[in-house]
Amino acid sequence: MTCDKFRAQFVPGSADAAMLEHIRSCDVCLNFAVERDDDMLFRALGGDDMVPPGGIDAFVGDVMREVHLRGTENTVSGPAGSWTRRLAVAAALATVVAGSTFVYEHRTAPAIGVAVTHHQFRSAAYSRPVIQSYDSQKATIVEVPSEGEDVTVVMVFDDSLPADL
Amino acid sequence: MTKRVLLALLMLCSVWVSVSADTLPAEAGARADQALTVKTFQFKHKDADRAAAVIKPLMSSDGSLSIQPSTNSMVITDRAENLKSIAAALDKFDTPPQAFKLSVRLVSASRATAPARTPEALKDVSTKLTILPFNNFEVLGSAVLEGKEGEPGLLELETGYRADFKWGDYDAASDSVQIGDLKLSRLQGDQLTQLLKTTMNLKVGQTVVFGAGKPQGARALLLILAVKR
Repeated sequence: MTCDKFRAQFVPGSADAAMLEHIRSCDVCLNFAVERDDDMLFRALGGDDMVPPGGIDAFVGDVMREVHLRGTENTVSGPAGSWTRRLAVAAALATVVAGSTFVYEHRTAPAIGVAVTHHQFRSAAYSRPVIQSYDSQKATIVEVPSEGEDVTVVMVFDDSLPADL
Repeated sequence: MTKRVLLALLMLCSVWVSVSADTLPAEAGARADQALTVKTFQFKHKDADRAAAVIKPLMSSDGSLSIQPSTNSMVITDRAENLKSIAAALDKFDTPPQAFKLSVRLVSASRATAPARTPEALKDVSTKLTILPFNNFEVLGSAVLEGKEGEPGLLELETGYRADFKWGDYDAASDSVQIGDLKLSRLQGDQLTQLLKTTMNLKVGQTVVFGAGKPQGARALLLILAVKR
């Protein structure tokens, strides 16, 4: 289908296979169609119907068998593992209590040390921008990052500058 | 079985309580460090109002400052730990005016279909020039200026370009010098036309390629600047 033919035949809500096939490969006509009908984008994306291998019934059967098996597992394993589960819960609880105690102690004790380290870091990493101010309402300043390099590049694009600089 | 679990939990609780008790004095010490303290700093060489920019990055969100111009001093309220860092920074800031050398090269940059041309005098920055949207560079003039913090600076080139500025403060934290109110002008006939005005911070020892041009323009002026001691 040609673009001219598509545009002549297009009506909002169209689900014509040839027309959908055309806008899958032609961005200009896709834009044309979407401007008149937002849903055309989704219709174009759809393509062929998606059917799982073996058909829908086989797929549903597989899912239901899996659900049934999981249910059976839960029913059987419940009462047999009760004392081990309680032991695991107690061990987990003990780990959480001991862990939180350790974290609490760790966060409280070195508070002064952390503050000092922070200032040192900030002081070492502190740098001023190359362009602190530039007098113009129509300028864009681009500073090329140059950490640790000997040369820094800054470019100002200013509409108010004369063309014959 | 239940008794054993309960006993284990009781033991853990007792451990928790003893650890918490140990941390209380440390917490009290940290709290004392968080208390706000007031300190006055008087400046001998620099203006107090310029010191604000130096210490603001070091102040906490609870800190505050007030400037007293009559005595050229500054009153700072902040945590004791922060005041130590602030005092150290102000000590470095309030030094006698330092002397620097500013190397300036003025370059005309253009985009042309002719083969790319970069003069020998720009060899040190030629790699960086390739990222600009120009391929022809011509040096319009160069000079090395000397000056101290607070002094005026002036560059006049035979090609009619002129740059005047003020040597700003040296910032020890960033190891940079401010080139304040840099006005680049061009003499056309008898008339001096200002092209641009900017304030820059130049890191000592680092070369800065500063370009200015119209968006999508085929020409630009480059100022290649480097500050040394």
